[in-house]
Amino acid sequence: MKFLTSNFLKCSVQACDRSNDNFPLKFNGEKCQLEQDESLEFNPEFLLRVIDRVDWAAVLSVAADLGNTGLPAGKPEFSNEELSEEDKVILADLHTLLIQTNIVEGEMSCKNCGHVYYIKNSIPNLLLPPHLA
Amino acid sequence: MLPTPHVRCDYDKVYEPSEDTFLMLDALEKDQEFLRRFLGDKMNLVSEIGCGSGMVTTFMMHNRIPNKNAIYLPTDINPWAMESMVDTASLNKCDQNVLSPIRMNMAKSLRSGQIDLLVFNPPYVPAESVPTIPTEELSVTGEGKEDAAWLDLALLGGDDGMVVTWKLLHSLDEFLAPNGIAYVLFCARNKPQEVVKAMQLQNWSCELVEYRKAGWEVLSIYKFHR
Repeated sequence: MKFLTSNFLKCSVQACDRSNDNFPLKFNGEKCQLEQDESLEFNPEFLLRVIDRVDWAAVLSVAADLGNTGLPAGKPEFSNEELSEEDKVILADLHTLLIQTNIVEGEMSCKNCGHVYYIKNSIPNLLLPPHLA
Repeated sequence: MLPTPHVRCDYDKVYEPSEDTFLMLDALEKDQEFLRRFLGDKMNLVSEIGCGSGMVTTFMMHNRIPNKNAIYLPTDINPWAMESMVDTASLNKCDQNVLSPIRMNMAKSLRSGQIDLLVFNPPYVPAESVPTIPTEELSVTGEGKEDAAWLDLALLGGDDGMVVTWKLLHSLDEFLAPNGIAYVLFCARNKPQEVVKAMQLQNWSCELVEYRKAGWEVLSIYKFHR
């Protein structure tokens, strides 16, 4: 799964919808194996729209789980006019993190109920066992 | 006419693209311009529920439906569908698209209110009941029964073939973004006109997009939005 995907995944347990801790899921950094897909081309226009859309607190949380604590505390803002060189560097870094970073193997869990979900072969499995479904 | 994607997958385990699949492609092609206008230029989250072979999501990626700023998070409960989705996308050279398939039940593990374009070709065949998800046990000792069980799950929709579709329709508010839209396929035995009436009573805007007689089946695709 892509790093970006984590911005849209919540715990599957219905009862956890009533808590504020079902999103984002907590990644087990020690168990996660990451890969960079460098073939994905950098597209600043696309990235701007992705950043506009993401929940930044969740980006920070998952990045920290995976050992990256170098992100700015607030969501970066960009002027609508021409992007500066500095802006482009920030965008390119976020492209690497959000789009190119793939979590190939690993584990993530719900901060409310603790249920563990596994990622295998880049596919996260959010299905619940029958007794929880 | 837009080209139909090539598909590579094991049809013993994953639903083979058929008339219903092709009708969905036609509906999305027909509505290409509408979707571009309706969803706008922002980043759009596209989720096909029950992506199976991956043909429909691949078709959307390949033809930039709804726009060039979309990300694709298809779901399925069948693990083999996840594999086919990835294979079909790569066979059709969709490697520059942001694609991240997730194994889940419908869209239940996606944060609510996030899907801009939802596409659902459900298990719509009327049956006594909706099959249960094959267990890990069956996959070890089932001697091939597991494969058939995955196919049943892709086909059988319980009463009127509507049990799974109703689950989705009842959750549409939760799944869709505030300005999101859903494309859902029906067969005549699903009584789509009655479904549409019930949805309209809940203030959904419903519109027929495509309609086709396919052998003994009459298939239709409706779009739903607020």
